[in-house]
Amino acid sequence: MGINNEIKIVEIRDISEGLTVVCGLPDVGLVGVIAATHIISKLNLREAAYVETDLFPPVIILEGGLPKSPVRIFEGGGIAVLTSEIAIPSDTLYPLVRSIVDWVWRKKAEKVFVLSGIPVPNRHEIEKVRVFGAASDENMLKTLKDNEVEIIERGFIVGPQALILKYCMDKKIPAAALLAETFYNYPDPEASSMVIQTLNRIININVDVSELIERGEEVRLAMRDMMRRTQAELAKIKKSHEYDVPSFYIR
Amino acid sequence: MSVRRRRSIFDLLREYIEEIEALTDEIFERVTEKPSWDISSQSLEPLCDVHVSHDRVIVTADLPKADPESIRISSIRDDLIEITAKMRVKIRFEDLGVSHRRGEFTCFCCRVPLPVPVDISGAKVRYVKGILEITLPRKRGYEIKIE
Repeated sequence: MGINNEIKIVEIRDISEGLTVVCGLPDVGLVGVIAATHIISKLNLREAAYVETDLFPPVIILEGGLPKSPVRIFEGGGIAVLTSEIAIPSDTLYPLVRSIVDWVWRKKAEKVFVLSGIPVPNRHEIEKVRVFGAASDENMLKTLKDNEVEIIERGFIVGPQALILKYCMDKKIPAAALLAETFYNYPDPEASSMVIQTLNRIININVDVSELIERGEEVRLAMRDMMRRTQAELAKIKKSHEYDVPSFYIR
Repeated sequence: MSVRRRRSIFDLLREYIEEIEALTDEIFERVTEKPSWDISSQSLEPLCDVHVSHDRVIVTADLPKADPESIRISSIRDDLIEITAKMRVKIRFEDLGVSHRRGEFTCFCCRVPLPVPVDISGAKVRYVKGILEITLPRKRGYEIKIE
């Protein structure tokens, strides 16, 4: 039997429709992953679904000695959070995001938020990290502006957030990306705390970020290996494209 | 008579870029296919980055929980530096959520290859928010005078 090219989302318990879906996949500064795992922990979300595929390396994560998929969805109180414990192989990003967005569409999710970062070379000199936004439709753009999120009017974004916004636009699912200024290749819990605080305002939740700041050094130590592997994948997807200035534009 | 198709500069450039990409992949795989820790020396390998500009090389390293007073930077060659730093506290595998391995870590240690030679005597060092930043002037060669 050969490799199966399918990527399936397997639900392990009933998940209601009309959810708000939050995605935090590995990317610059691991902003999304750190934010997603913090939200899962603080809101006590329960494992609800996992990604099943032969396209990832043969890796499982052991929890209490039992095998778990490294890419999972946790849910509770109308919020579902998707995150990964491995760097996503660059060549699986397209089919993975397609399956996720198809699942979101089947679940009739109300809104999708992608948490991630924008790399800035002088990140360690920045005192107040800014959070930028982009959206899949005009209404979501307005929501971002109403919540004082600065919009990226023109520029490139690369990675899971780029594909999620595009596929959500195609399927008319309201989606927004919240992107904090961050390091390219150092885990950045401070940037994660900023995207969480922005999400708190937009969807009216109250995830406390003080622990994320206080234990920031521990988080950075624990995320070193995942950052290293993510960096290798970022090079393959040409993440540096985000630094590029788009071609000449006549206003 | 056989027609010999000459390769354009673009073909050559594309091949060159493909070769560099393959090499980059190989280097990344070599780096990631070994542990980022060493139990015998109780050291963790920090995440590092190298940026080259026209007159300097900037090396940064993420050193969470490092004691700033203990940071040492030395040159092995003019294109290879070593960074070491003691940690303020010992870190055990258990602290990182791993229960099946034994060992503790007391320092960071890494050797950073630089793509161009530098003059380490002109280095400037900062440690901001747990990030070490080393600015090294590039070695200069003979300057050609324009008449």
